[in-house]
Amino acid sequence: MKLREHAYDWLAWILIGAVPLLIFWQNATSLSDQGVASGGPMSNAAAYPSIIAWILLALSLINALRIVAGQISQRSPLDPTATTRLALIATGLFVVYLLCLGWLGYYLTTPVLLAVLFAMLGLSPLAAIAGAIAATLLVAAVFEGLLNVVLPLGIFSFTLFG
Amino acid sequence: MFDLLLEGAPLYFSAASVLLTVLGIIGGLVIGVLPGLGPLMGIVLLLPVAFHLEPIPAMAMLIAVYVGGSAGGSISAILLRIPGTPLAAATLFDGYPLAQKGRSQDAIGLSITASSLGGLVAGIVLIFFSPVLADFALKFAPPEYAAMALLGLLTIAVVSEGSAIKGMLAGGLGLAVATVGTDEFTQAYRYTFGTINLTSGPNLVAVVVGLFALSELFVQVEGGNFRDRPQIQKLRISFRALRLIVNHRWNVVRSALLGTGLGAIPGAGGDVSAFVSYAVAKRLAAEEDGYGEGAEGGVVATEAANNGTCGGALIPTLSLGIPGDASTAVLLGALFLLGFFPGPELFQYHADVAGGIFLAYLASNVVLIVLGILLVPFFGTVLKVPKAWLLPLVLLLSTMGTYALQNSVFDLWVMLAFGCIGYVLRKASYPLAPIIIGMILGPVLENNFRRALLLSRDGPMIFLERPISATILAIAAVMLVYVTVTTLRPRKAR
Repeated sequence: MKLREHAYDWLAWILIGAVPLLIFWQNATSLSDQGVASGGPMSNAAAYPSIIAWILLALSLINALRIVAGQISQRSPLDPTATTRLALIATGLFVVYLLCLGWLGYYLTTPVLLAVLFAMLGLSPLAAIAGAIAATLLVAAVFEGLLNVVLPLGIFSFTLFG
Repeated sequence: MFDLLLEGAPLYFSAASVLLTVLGIIGGLVIGVLPGLGPLMGIVLLLPVAFHLEPIPAMAMLIAVYVGGSAGGSISAILLRIPGTPLAAATLFDGYPLAQKGRSQDAIGLSITASSLGGLVAGIVLIFFSPVLADFALKFAPPEYAAMALLGLLTIAVVSEGSAIKGMLAGGLGLAVATVGTDEFTQAYRYTFGTINLTSGPNLVAVVVGLFALSELFVQVEGGNFRDRPQIQKLRISFRALRLIVNHRWNVVRSALLGTGLGAIPGAGGDVSAFVSYAVAKRLAAEEDGYGEGAEGGVVATEAANNGTCGGALIPTLSLGIPGDASTAVLLGALFLLGFFPGPELFQYHADVAGGIFLAYLASNVVLIVLGILLVPFFGTVLKVPKAWLLPLVLLLSTMGTYALQNSVFDLWVMLAFGCIGYVLRKASYPLAPIIIGMILGPVLENNFRRALLLSRDGPMIFLERPISATILAIAAVMLVYVTVTTLRPRKAR
């Protein structure tokens, strides 16, 4: 199966292959319940997505056969680099940031995220903290001050330029 | 041709539009200079800002970023032998050797001047051909629009880098994502999984930022070297290139026209046109010109072609609503979200907007030549900014830009999800542009497909009974046969 050699190809195959299955499942449940999974072009909201799903399924099948038959010349092994771990930690940190953003607000969460990221990428603690505060304020000034966007306020309803 | 420009002049010539053109060119050049970023990233990052502006200043800014970003990639190719964008890959052949001969300023000056002039030539073609093509598209009814959307998507999927199957899978994924939300005909909720956040479908900007910006950040972090500062020779402002370019005038025109023609084919892209133009220029040049060893003509050919591609890619985008590449797909999306629908209606009912966009494109290329030369020393400084500073800042801009569109944290989760999907697809060598183009063309394809079936008394035969849609579908079929044959061929060869 060349699982290791084409690891990302298989991951992508699973990701894309799941889409038609989701479409068929939803057509049979949610769309049927709403009464829009049958009839003519006006009343059938499931027909067009079904065509797309069948095409995706057929192409996914061809692609799987190509991987198995070794017709894909470019390998895609997982092969982590020295900094892949760092990228994963940064992604995890970003997930935590998104979880806290609505709750604690932009001004409390953003400088912390940026300072940690700057430090993780090799800047000195002082530069990381100063850079994080400056970038937070600059972006807030542009979005709140110039574009009238309300950045996440959080439970403290705190804003500087709004 | 001139009517459109005259109608667009009052809209474009405002302080805001001109200022944003200047800022857009500076921003585009800077983002183009930085390896790994590029015009698409620039457009993506500024998209949320654009939605808070009036339509023409917003489009002027985005088009300027597109033009500046396409030209900026050559500077790092010339100075560091690292193309800032894939568009500038062919500039390495002669740009870097020319810089190694101590002529960095000439190389950068020539690349900027050729880009600008190439863009202007393409602009003239764009202004001339877009209304003609849009006029022809007035004959289109739902079957033709559906066929055209299908052909556009298929072309992009097939011509994009990587395998055609992967391109088509990516396009199909985009079409599938576009079906999420409220169905226009029945008002039913499709694939929303009970969340109110998806009733209008996933936010296009969140998907674009996720797929392109976030996945790129992940790749950049994996690349390491966060504190590297490259050694760059001191650069000065020099206008000598304006004199040198005169010797290459026919090269500029030829390469720009080649770039424009290839750019107008959805999916062909600036990198393809730059390589083709380089090959043509080299073949036509005398041996003593020294192509590959620092020939001025090599730099001129590639840069005139890749900026010509920008104008070329705008032709199908504006006249038919079929984007020529990923950047124009995002520009098309921006135009949609600003309330205008590219295609014949744009020229028929909003001629002033079409004219304003043309003027923005021409003005961007004029501003490029001035700022590109004046800011040469600044680019050297930009190239020395370490990734440790850059990457978190791009993340912050991507995040707040996406949030600002609808004040929605849900959009940020969509962005993150598509960032992960984009990363996996990149690693598996899938082209990402067809996903976005599928998302943009999806509603056009579905609505016209269903309308055509409603009009038809003969089911799907309506697509074959009408000459224009039958011809378009025949071209699509030929393309599919070609792809099938070329996909099977390597195995036989082995």
